[in-house]
Amino acid sequence: MSSYKIQKSLDLTGTSCAGPIGELSGVMDEIGVGEAVEVILGDEATKKDVVAWVTKKGYKVVSETKEGNKFKLVIQK
Amino acid sequence: MKRIIIAGGGIAGTIVANRLVKALSPEIGKGEVELVVIDKSDRHVYQPGQVFVGMGLVEPTEIIKNERDLLDDRVKFLHGEKGEITKIDPANNTVVTADGVKHTYDYLVIATGSHLNWDEIPGLREAEYTPWSYDDALKMREAVQQFQGGTVVINVARLPHKCPVGPLEMTLMFEDWTRRIGIRDKTRIIYTYPIQGVFGIKSTNDLMIKIFKERGIEIISPFTVTRVDPKEKIIESQEGEKLKFDLLLGVPPHVGAKVIGDSGIGDKRNWVPTDKFTLQMKGYSNVYVIGDTTDIPISKAGSTADFESYVVTANIVNDIRGIKPKKMYDGSVFCYIATGLDQATYIRFNYNNPPIPPPPSYVHWWGKILYNKLYWTVTAKAIV
Repeated sequence: MSSYKIQKSLDLTGTSCAGPIGELSGVMDEIGVGEAVEVILGDEATKKDVVAWVTKKGYKVVSETKEGNKFKLVIQK
Repeated sequence: MKRIIIAGGGIAGTIVANRLVKALSPEIGKGEVELVVIDKSDRHVYQPGQVFVGMGLVEPTEIIKNERDLLDDRVKFLHGEKGEITKIDPANNTVVTADGVKHTYDYLVIATGSHLNWDEIPGLREAEYTPWSYDDALKMREAVQQFQGGTVVINVARLPHKCPVGPLEMTLMFEDWTRRIGIRDKTRIIYTYPIQGVFGIKSTNDLMIKIFKERGIEIISPFTVTRVDPKEKIIESQEGEKLKFDLLLGVPPHVGAKVIGDSGIGDKRNWVPTDKFTLQMKGYSNVYVIGDTTDIPISKAGSTADFESYVVTANIVNDIRGIKPKKMYDGSVFCYIATGLDQATYIRFNYNNPPIPPPPSYVHWWGKILYNKLYWTVTAKAIV
């Protein structure tokens, strides 16, 4: 089982100019390899986009839970 | 007496100071409340106007005024060494300035803003022109006026940055300008952005991609700049692209103020952890964060600061008057987007309702011009 430190929690359920991937990219740039970010996403489509981006960048989704209509992912660099 | 300190006299700090002084007029009149704005600079720049300066459309003097002239007379203003904040210590309700004075407060509003971090990308400072600072906008103005054709790369280095629609505006205004002076056929324009597309919100991204295609503007994204060779004029990306340019325009990486890092109260990019609804600094009920300074996933824009100022003001006023309910920020943002030198669209949205930008028109262009001009007499002075 891999261990990781969650550096930041990001609520990406709302609309923002950078969009969820833009906001997440800014934080992932900053953290070190092995560190992680927790993100809350508001819908399935955004979750799919984020997971595709995470895979493309070579990061890893280490945890995924659903709370009501929202998704909580932990993404490790 | 209750003292409210506002750390930072930019757009956010100035609007919230003027809104607070109006709302707390009875208490200030009785000497029960004091309002202090602290900022090293006494120069107030209307930053959304910098792209107009960079493009040579307005005179630099039109976007700059003295901070003292914008603040209500009842607001105390410290600047210079007395206004250079060296430490923010929320655990002890204290702000320290460069003259060694410890200023205690009952309420603090942190409005220290976002700043350019050029050195994050080797070669960027030497090669790129940007209107994302006043002084750099003056340099860009000269570079644009001298441009006679060639390849122009427009780059957004990292997200988030202030004025998120600014790169779109700069691109479309520049493209229109090359048409008007008759060099469009000699000019190749390439827009590069760190995530797929040209903007983070789908409806706006779709409209802008359509406009870019119609106007012959190339898009290369995702493009995460890693280095720039100013001598060879080449910009390189993490994704493996190498682009040769004659003129590089762009948005350097942004970070929060140095004092946030020095005080140990921010995240790794010096954004201050903030409750997205109450705008309180996380862990401190008497500290509010406003404008670009927050770590909220929302646009770093002047209109955001204006919308937030109503919430911060109401919550501080209610607290002083012993009224319990907190006002909540709904994520409201409003930005005009110039799509040329005489047309614009706009986006108006909040956390739950994405924008639906209307087709670009002359009417919205004039709306934008009016909005900019009204900043000095209406928005900054918190008249509405």
